[in-house]
Amino acid sequence: MPGRDADAPSRSLRSRSIDHRPDALGDTPVDTPAPQAPPATAPAAPAVAVRARALTKVYGSGEAAVHALAGVDIDFAAGAFTAIMGPSGSGKSTLMHLLAGLDTASGGHAYLGDTDLSGLGDKELTRLRRERIGFVFQSFNLLPMFTAEQNITLPLELAGTAPDLAWRTTLVETLGLGDRLGHRPSELSGGQQQRVAIARALIARPDVVFADEPTGNLDSRAGAQVLSFLRRSVRELGRTVIMVTHDPSAAAYADRVVLLADGRVAGDITDPTPESVLAGLDALRSLDEPLAVR
Amino acid sequence: MLRLTLAQMRRSLGRLTAAAVAITIGTAFVAATLLAGNAMTRTTYDAVSSQYGGADLVVSEGEVTDRTLAVLTEVPGVTSVHGYRETAVEVAGPSGQTVTPVTAPPQDRTLSGTTMVEGSQPTGPDDIALPPKVAELLGVDVGDTVRVTQTVYVVDSADAEPEVLSEDLTVVGLVDAPGAAFLGTGGVSLVHPERLDTWMDLQDPESTTSWFWYALVSVSPDASLTQVQDSAHEAIGASAEVRTLDEQARATTEQITGSADQLTVVVLGFAAVALLVAALVIANTFQVLVAQRTRTLALLRCVGADRSQLRRSVVLEALILGGTASVAGLLLGTAVVQAALLVLGETATDVPLPTTVSITPLVVLVPLALGVLVTVLAALSPARAATRVSPLAALRPADAPRTSERSGRVRAWLAGVLMVGGGLGLVAGLVASRDDLMVGLGFGVLGGAVSFVGVVLGAVFWVPRLVGLAGSVLGRRGTAARLAAANSVRNPQRTAATSAALFIGVTLVAMMATGAASTRTALDKTLSEEFPVDVAVGTLGDGSDSLGLPAGLRSTVDGLNGVTAVAGLTGLVVDVADGQGAVSEWVTVRGIDAADASSVVRASEQVDGLGDGTVLVPKEVASWTGIEDGDELVLTQVSPPEEGAAEAAPATGSVALEVTAVLTDLPGQALVVTRSSLATLDPGAPVTRLWIRLDDDGSSTDAVTAITAASSETGTPLETTGAAVERDFYQRVVNTLLAVVVGLLAVAVVIALVGVTNTLSLSVIERRRESATLRAIGLSRRQLRATLAIEGVLIAGVGAVVGALLGTVYGWAGAQTLLGQLSPVALTIPWRDLGLVVAVALVAGLLASVLPGRSAARTSPVEALAVE
Repeated sequence: MPGRDADAPSRSLRSRSIDHRPDALGDTPVDTPAPQAPPATAPAAPAVAVRARALTKVYGSGEAAVHALAGVDIDFAAGAFTAIMGPSGSGKSTLMHLLAGLDTASGGHAYLGDTDLSGLGDKELTRLRRERIGFVFQSFNLLPMFTAEQNITLPLELAGTAPDLAWRTTLVETLGLGDRLGHRPSELSGGQQQRVAIARALIARPDVVFADEPTGNLDSRAGAQVLSFLRRSVRELGRTVIMVTHDPSAAAYADRVVLLADGRVAGDITDPTPESVLAGLDALRSLDEPLAVR
Repeated sequence: MLRLTLAQMRRSLGRLTAAAVAITIGTAFVAATLLAGNAMTRTTYDAVSSQYGGADLVVSEGEVTDRTLAVLTEVPGVTSVHGYRETAVEVAGPSGQTVTPVTAPPQDRTLSGTTMVEGSQPTGPDDIALPPKVAELLGVDVGDTVRVTQTVYVVDSADAEPEVLSEDLTVVGLVDAPGAAFLGTGGVSLVHPERLDTWMDLQDPESTTSWFWYALVSVSPDASLTQVQDSAHEAIGASAEVRTLDEQARATTEQITGSADQLTVVVLGFAAVALLVAALVIANTFQVLVAQRTRTLALLRCVGADRSQLRRSVVLEALILGGTASVAGLLLGTAVVQAALLVLGETATDVPLPTTVSITPLVVLVPLALGVLVTVLAALSPARAATRVSPLAALRPADAPRTSERSGRVRAWLAGVLMVGGGLGLVAGLVASRDDLMVGLGFGVLGGAVSFVGVVLGAVFWVPRLVGLAGSVLGRRGTAARLAAANSVRNPQRTAATSAALFIGVTLVAMMATGAASTRTALDKTLSEEFPVDVAVGTLGDGSDSLGLPAGLRSTVDGLNGVTAVAGLTGLVVDVADGQGAVSEWVTVRGIDAADASSVVRASEQVDGLGDGTVLVPKEVASWTGIEDGDELVLTQVSPPEEGAAEAAPATGSVALEVTAVLTDLPGQALVVTRSSLATLDPGAPVTRLWIRLDDDGSSTDAVTAITAASSETGTPLETTGAAVERDFYQRVVNTLLAVVVGLLAVAVVIALVGVTNTLSLSVIERRRESATLRAIGLSRRQLRATLAIEGVLIAGVGAVVGALLGTVYGWAGAQTLLGQLSPVALTIPWRDLGLVVAVALVAGLLASVLPGRSAARTSPVEALAVE
């Protein structure tokens, strides 16, 4: 497996440092902002996990060009649960794709820690995703031929690293999957599948987990459960989660909500409640101008 | 609905094209076979009809005598009649001699089936016209003389010398028979009718009736052919058939091409295999097309399409696909045969091949009908699957379409019963063939076919298991392999069908290879026993006149290319007597050193008993002398009587050799003792014969030619005999047949590989989102490609390995059934061929994954996030 151990020493170092304080709230990753990093972050603020600078994405060209992202500057704090919201076509999915290294930006930069994603090729991006990013999808996207357990440990297998049994047990217990590990996805409920997906996303202790409408295919009870788990993984397990959603009550589980409209940041709500999120969205609809709530 | 079907077909064009290739190859195969059969029949017809010249009616198949001819001449409307008859004579010229059939030209030249190339027809009893090839062989030209010998063995007087009539005739012309080359007769010579009569009378001097092969009748242009035919028939009664030229040519062609038709049927059998494999590929393709379109189909159901409309749409699609592909196949097949005819026409000038293919309705309709039928039949089950799509599926979030369902218990039982029953049939065939080959063969073929159907039916059970097993072994080698192993058993039916398509072809190839190898071994053994000595060179009248071989011949032969070993044999004629006086015969005895004997004789067990004090007695000698194994024999030299003193008592030698008889399977009519034993009888006995063993590399013909040349250069008349050339010939026949059959079956394998590619690319499409997910969570492009490559190799490998194993068993059983009566057939496994087949299948499985792999690797991880 190519690159199996290229990055291993620093990885294991980082992993171990987290191991000692598994429930530390606001755990800071070892990566510190590079000296030449843009000065948007105040030195006293918590470490930044993901950052966008003047990020643009244009589909098509000339007359038909669509600016999905029209220059976005934003920081996502490490150890926080952030929701990205906005109406359809606001660019929230595009922003996530660019931040996660799934798509290449037309301009500007996306940073994961201090790694500039825009300069990376497919191989580096693949390794980055394998080792530093976790994904939770709307349709769960579990591999149907593997059991829940095999699905959970798949990223480690791909990376060729041995599973950390203690961490695996922690995840399985937290997510309440103990008695479901031997089942295939088709034998699990939607909520259970999504919890398996969350475990899969967290198993490699990624720097950040991106969740794309994780409750979109779930009923409200299962959805609430999944969102609690995401929040617990941030608060108790010290992970960083960035979630794209259009559901205000889902967004209310986050520590912070970023509102997007027409490819730009249109609002920022900390400690959101469903009401404050709804209010922010209403403001987006009623006003053409971007509005900073609060 | 048609518009919709076409629109859907356009969307799946690539997939359908791949499936169409399978059908195209299959129908092209059928069309080419039929066209080639047609061309063969037409060539035969042309050649046959040409030998009847311009005759209008042909009277044959019955008593055609001079009286018949006389009656025919009287029939109104008949302008001329010619009775055709032929005898064979030996002709000798300065550079050689041969036997040629000879006839007399008809008085009415229009009835002649021959044309003069040069010179004129014989006008007197001392004239002869020869086919150009014969003239060339004899080294004569128009104006030269040839010696013509007619030898007649008089029946019922075995001892009497044959009556020989030799004449010197003048070559007056060279005559060509257009159909001769094709019919393999090598042409016919012409002599004056008087001469032919003389020869004919010689054969049957008592007879007052002249018999003819057939009579050619020319009918006046004013008379109605049918009327003349009827009255001729009336005139001669039921004693013979009166046919028009066309009828006669057709009838004869039918007789001749009977075997050619069988060949066509056999080749069509292979075409059927190719079509069967194509059907599997088609069924597979449609299955997945339907699965892929679940959403569309459900949507259609939502907006009001009923089940039968959906089914009709799928069947219509198959109809269009099958029709288009079959037309393409027909054109391809026609083009191939036409190209072959052009090439053959350029190279094989002897055979009057047609220059264009003859398109008959059969040639067009059969491939088209077969192609369409096979496609539609293969699509029926997927069409039924299409009707099962519920309208609700349109509303559900789409997951990877799943077609896997537990295959019925009925199928498992049926497959099991067929396999066991067929296997028993195979065994029964083996046993029965000992007593009756045809019964055994019947059982064997039926058993083989039935068990094979069972294996194919059961593929859905055993293929996924084997693939899973192979996959779990491979799976330890990394994630890609583990993913591939898991993927390959996800859809057992499709994996089974794909693997089965390949495995049918591989089984048949392996069967042929093993059958041929076993046959070859058995044949070799039989040939070795029948012809233990490759080549023997000896003096004429061997032994009796004590004529020795020219000095130096042995070393010359020894130095020739392709000669492995040479042994010299001394020879003389002895009187053989047993102690009781029950046996006393003159026999040639040869002396050879035991070591030499075992090095030159192929079936060395035949000379095992050779030693001082023993004499080898060939079965044939034993049968007419009455010698039995273990008899104590006394050999005494006999000096043959002087020439011209036949009645004189022969002189008997004074020395007697006492030996024990050892009966052997050694062919021939000479006893064999060691050279030292023979020397005690006559120390001066000359070396009269060489036994030569040739290399096994198939160069025998060259070696034999060289030996013959070396012998004739000595100036002494020597005879060269042996089976080396025959052995080569038989081996070439087996090898050529094998090559042809394997070539034909390779078509099926190629189609199957199209199927593997198809299956893999369908998997790629189906698993688009999974691939994207894997890419998103860290599977590299290379790993993704490796996953598909391993999956392809797994599917192809299991098909190939099982096919090779099964084919070996079938091939051996077949050879055993066919040849078991002749000699026990040892299982000969053609490792090289089998290895090649499996290797080709594995490489092909790998190659089949290249294109799908590329398209899978292009999948953007973003697609994992997409919601359909």
